[in-house]
Amino acid sequence: MFTRKRMLALFLLPGLAGLLVFYLIPFVYGFYFSVTDGTRLNEYVGFSNYLKVWQNPMFQQGLLTTMELSLLCAPIIFVLAFAIAGMLRSLGQGSTFYRNALLLPYLMPSSAMILIWLLIFDYSGVFNQILVEALGLGGERLIWTSGPLLRVPVILLYVWKNLGFSVVIFTSALQAVPQAYYEYASLEGASRVKQELRITLPLISPTAFLVFVLAWINAFKIFKEIYFIGGAYSDLYTLQHFMNNHFARINYQYVTTAAYSFAVIVLILFGALYWFEMRHRVE
Amino acid sequence: MMAKKPRLFIHALMWVIVALLLLPIVFTFFYSFFPKSEMDAYLSLRGRFSEAWLPLLVSPKVFSLRQYYTIFIEEPMYLRLFLNSVTYGVGILLGQMVFVPSMAYALSRFRFRGREALFFVVMALMLMPFQVIQAPTVITLRTLNLMNTTWAVLLPMWFTPFYIFLLRQFMVGIPAEMFEAGMMDGAGPVRAYFHVMMPVCRPVLGAALALSFADSWNMVEQPLVYLQNEMARPLSVMFNVLSESKKDIAFAGAALYIVPMLVMYFYFQEDILLGVQLSELK
Repeated sequence: MFTRKRMLALFLLPGLAGLLVFYLIPFVYGFYFSVTDGTRLNEYVGFSNYLKVWQNPMFQQGLLTTMELSLLCAPIIFVLAFAIAGMLRSLGQGSTFYRNALLLPYLMPSSAMILIWLLIFDYSGVFNQILVEALGLGGERLIWTSGPLLRVPVILLYVWKNLGFSVVIFTSALQAVPQAYYEYASLEGASRVKQELRITLPLISPTAFLVFVLAWINAFKIFKEIYFIGGAYSDLYTLQHFMNNHFARINYQYVTTAAYSFAVIVLILFGALYWFEMRHRVE
Repeated sequence: MMAKKPRLFIHALMWVIVALLLLPIVFTFFYSFFPKSEMDAYLSLRGRFSEAWLPLLVSPKVFSLRQYYTIFIEEPMYLRLFLNSVTYGVGILLGQMVFVPSMAYALSRFRFRGREALFFVVMALMLMPFQVIQAPTVITLRTLNLMNTTWAVLLPMWFTPFYIFLLRQFMVGIPAEMFEAGMMDGAGPVRAYFHVMMPVCRPVLGAALALSFADSWNMVEQPLVYLQNEMARPLSVMFNVLSESKKDIAFAGAALYIVPMLVMYFYFQEDILLGVQLSELK
């Protein structure tokens, strides 16, 4: 460990200055915008901006969509990644190829993938064809690229891109679970699924918590895929749509107020999740 | 011990999953070699709401490089925007190289008051949703009069908290003995940084480089808000506009945009794996 002050300043200050200027100072200063009225006098208005934003139907819509998308994506990724990581563990060394292949979509730019996605989910596309003809469901074709069902291709694209990330985190946690536990459980006659739920999951619960939280927080970012398909006023109106449209109008009061409101909501949910995980952890 | 049969089943299942995941990429490349006229006609069938199915094209009339020829020679717009993407991606990396490892070094190898608190702040920033981070950043950019300049996209990204966190996680795990030999010889923190820390950190630096480049290559929200001039935006934002007006070369455009990420992926594969594993919060 080094302790010399001047040396510390040399390494710490440039980065710290950037964090202060672009993240921390405006974060505090932004609060001032959210409690003033934005006119030339800039009078203190208490929490009336907050009330206005919360009552704004577009904000409510954006918040609802963002929450809905993220709370759908997180469990899907969690379950799929856990199942795949479990399968990969039983393959041992032979799993490296699969794990690497699963990670490839994570690096693919959404903008380049949207083209093929629109073809797959077109009214006449492969997805509808499989649903109607191959699976023999008959019935009407569905419209995936606009309207309420737009969320399906968007969620699938998100899962496609991010699944590998969660699988890798799960896989490295699973390696730490002693094999002997499973052998004992097998002798006792516990089924494979029961072993995973009763032994694996509690033992890796901090990792499981992390995977869920990361998948959940990352899914707040779902915007570009919707923007590519639907533009600035899409059928799926996310919080980012709301923010962008108010940035364009240079409406700082609304933007900062919306940002802090969202931060509080996320913190509360995060706290609840953490509390839940603490109670179920096995020491 | 697992029996042999279930293992075979798992291999088969994994192959199906991997194939499904890779097919969109494979088809993007495959379609980029179709003649322009064929692709134009095909993509015009989209959104027709007609009874016919869009056929899966499996055999082009002729394998053609026309789409690529148009992009490279005839239609400079695409390359121009592609170069924007390169500029932003490289510009962000250059800045991060200066600011991110040094801050991670300070947070991991120096002892000072408030270190844990500062690290906590970095983690909190990292976990904040982008919508919350963006509003304050825009206030700074306006105050400094940087809106609608290249710097608006570059500067905030130079201090991305996630990469400070990632590098710090790797650096705290390096045993102190590695530095002691140098300190005996009178080498200070600066020499230790360049001659010990940087070489030892090569894998995590590779991971950060690849992941960060993937971020900027995929960047949409920031340029969309910070840059009014469409010609200054990276291809990631403009791609859907471009591919609507130039359907016939859209797939070559997409394939070309994927290529740098494929190269990154294959070159840094092991490092990326390490990077993802390190992002466990401990």
